[in-house]
Amino acid sequence: MMALAILTALTPLAGLAAALAGARARVIGTAQAAGAAAALGCAIALLVTLSRRPPLEGLAGFLYADALSGFFLLTVTSVTLLAALGSIPYIGAQEDSGELSRFQVRLYFSFFSLFATLMLASLETGNLGLLFVLIEASTLASAALVGLEGRARSLEAAWKYIIISSLGVTIALAGTLFVFYSASALHPASNLALPWPYLLAHAHALAPQSLRLGFLLAVVGYGTKVGLAPMHTWLPDAHAEAPSPASAMLSAALLNTGMYAIIRFLAIANARLGGTYPRAVLLSFGFASIVIGALFMVRKGNFKRLFAYSSVEHMGIIAVALGFGGILGLYGALLQVLNHALAKTVLFLSSGDVSLRYRTREAAGVTGLLSAAPVIGGALLLATFAVLGSPPFGVFLSELTIVRAGFARGSPVFPLLLLALLGVAFFAFARTITAMVTGRPPVSAGRAPEPVLVGQLAMPDGQAAAVASTAAAPAGSPTAVAGPAEALASPYRDRTATVMAAVPLVLGLVALLVLGLWIPAGLDTVLRQSAAVIG
Amino acid sequence: MQYLSQSSTAGVLLDLSGAVILLLAFACLASKLFNRYVAYYGAQSVVLAFAAGTSAVAFHSTELWVLAALTLAIKGIAIPVAARRVLVARLALKRDAAMSTGLSTSLVAGGALTAFAYLVTRPALLPHGSAAAAVVPLSTAVILLGALAMVVRRHTVAQLIGWLIVENGVFLGAITLVATFPFIVEAGIFLDIVAGVLIMIVFVSGLTRQLAQASAAELRELRG
Repeated sequence: MMALAILTALTPLAGLAAALAGARARVIGTAQAAGAAAALGCAIALLVTLSRRPPLEGLAGFLYADALSGFFLLTVTSVTLLAALGSIPYIGAQEDSGELSRFQVRLYFSFFSLFATLMLASLETGNLGLLFVLIEASTLASAALVGLEGRARSLEAAWKYIIISSLGVTIALAGTLFVFYSASALHPASNLALPWPYLLAHAHALAPQSLRLGFLLAVVGYGTKVGLAPMHTWLPDAHAEAPSPASAMLSAALLNTGMYAIIRFLAIANARLGGTYPRAVLLSFGFASIVIGALFMVRKGNFKRLFAYSSVEHMGIIAVALGFGGILGLYGALLQVLNHALAKTVLFLSSGDVSLRYRTREAAGVTGLLSAAPVIGGALLLATFAVLGSPPFGVFLSELTIVRAGFARGSPVFPLLLLALLGVAFFAFARTITAMVTGRPPVSAGRAPEPVLVGQLAMPDGQAAAVASTAAAPAGSPTAVAGPAEALASPYRDRTATVMAAVPLVLGLVALLVLGLWIPAGLDTVLRQSAAVIG
Repeated sequence: MQYLSQSSTAGVLLDLSGAVILLLAFACLASKLFNRYVAYYGAQSVVLAFAAGTSAVAFHSTELWVLAALTLAIKGIAIPVAARRVLVARLALKRDAAMSTGLSTSLVAGGALTAFAYLVTRPALLPHGSAAAAVVPLSTAVILLGALAMVVRRHTVAQLIGWLIVENGVFLGAITLVATFPFIVEAGIFLDIVAGVLIMIVFVSGLTRQLAQASAAELRELRG
């Protein structure tokens, strides 16, 4: 079983190996996807074993996996697989068009696989100090992905991300210290070596005041990585500037890893402090995030920022569900983690395709997606309804569970507020997306960069030459590139790549649909066991 | 728990180091020259290494000795030297003009945060008369001052130094509050800091180059 746990974390490194060997994007991507598929297989096998046996402990408490870690491993490996599959056509197309150099492509996959491995490893450790080390390291690896394109905007986003997240995680380390300090009555000699299960089992002996401060600092610190408001400010920039498959990893894997860290602290806090204090903390941050997320979604603009604010909102929903507590609330929170991860991965991957096709990330620049690219448009529309909580997709089921948990707690104020905010989010999000998928595609020769500028500004030579060769009219006339209304050029080299781009979208949507209609008995057991861990 | 009492020699030395570290954080907050930021950070790390050494003697811990040596080598020497050579000298950084508040305002805010740190960590949280009770408020204040420096300065290098000061504050709390993490974890923390500083240096250089190009382009557009 220990071998299985280690393999789960290490198999995504296949991408790093291929990148170091110097292969081209498609080859590295395939190796990455194969590694991720192997990791998913290991995670499922591990989960099956964990649901029947006591938690796995080893390596002096550094390795620890219970049903909760197994469930998060399943989520993160699924996202990694989908994002790796999506990287093959996306990064391949950027390599073909020369937007990314071969060095950048190798850099991308190296950091992608390091990022995945570090996140998976942080889900498998029982030592809260090592948890900090691995989460901070995953911040560094993913910051390199955000800054990959090397433009001023992406570097700025990467800077904002790395500095805010590092500060946040350092504060979480201070929180971790206070939690360990609260245990100094337990084990005088080396209280920092205490593994998490030991702390939980002896929670009754922890000093409450120190634990209270430690829990608050941990929620603020790891909450920065989760994107809980008001520490979310790095999130929209980083998600908008990263390559789309990397955005999917950030939104669907990294945020959940942060949430996992908070859950570990929550379990200890619940056991010692009772429900009231942790509940108040989580409900405050949760509702703040939902409000911020929903309000900023109303604004139109960059569609990747829209998805990012939706992530803020969903992380808020999960925090609120953890705050509602009880078996129902915890069950709903975990189910929401998985459903949101799948839906957001499909959204970000399809947004990558859209930005390759339309050469823009502004929602206003995209129309008629359904007629220009029916598969992508359809996937975007379906994933939109899935993430907004329409039946028959999984998110509907988990949000329903969360609202029920809220009503079960007594006061109807919180669940009603939650429902109202979900309504605002639904309206804001759907308004932008429907405008993108309906209507007629824009009239332009798709691949020419910034065609509008031709008549207004003197262009650099290379660009002007490219425009002149695609459109036979002389450069300098405003109508030069406005051709007849026709389908936008496919960004991919051949048919295989086009099909490859659709594969992860379809896989993700099918999984969401299945989760909405039927929760497999095994998954149900795991969710109940995980909820019992949190208490 | 083996408490380090406040009146023991080690306790007094730790208390003193904590106070000096706090003063150096204030000095950083009050300064306007990039050279000084780096110098104050280096000095702070050297004092921190001394504090770790004191703690090592008091707890009879070899791991703390290794930690003190690592602190001196990495935070006290390597990072300041690298920051000075690669950032301050190569990018020709002199005066930091990008501040969102005046110096006096940020110093007053720093004083308020220090008082707040005492307010939060003092009452009943820590055993009375222990060295930790004296040092933890200081280290909390250092953390808050570092964060304040990151907020009021908009220049990337200043923010980087701010983060490193926060890190020092956490470390100061760690060596007095509790014994130590297992060595793997401590080594991991150091590795994270080094990798973080390296990646940040790459970003800072990239951003500065881009900004230089952008402003050069502006100059060309405005011509004639």
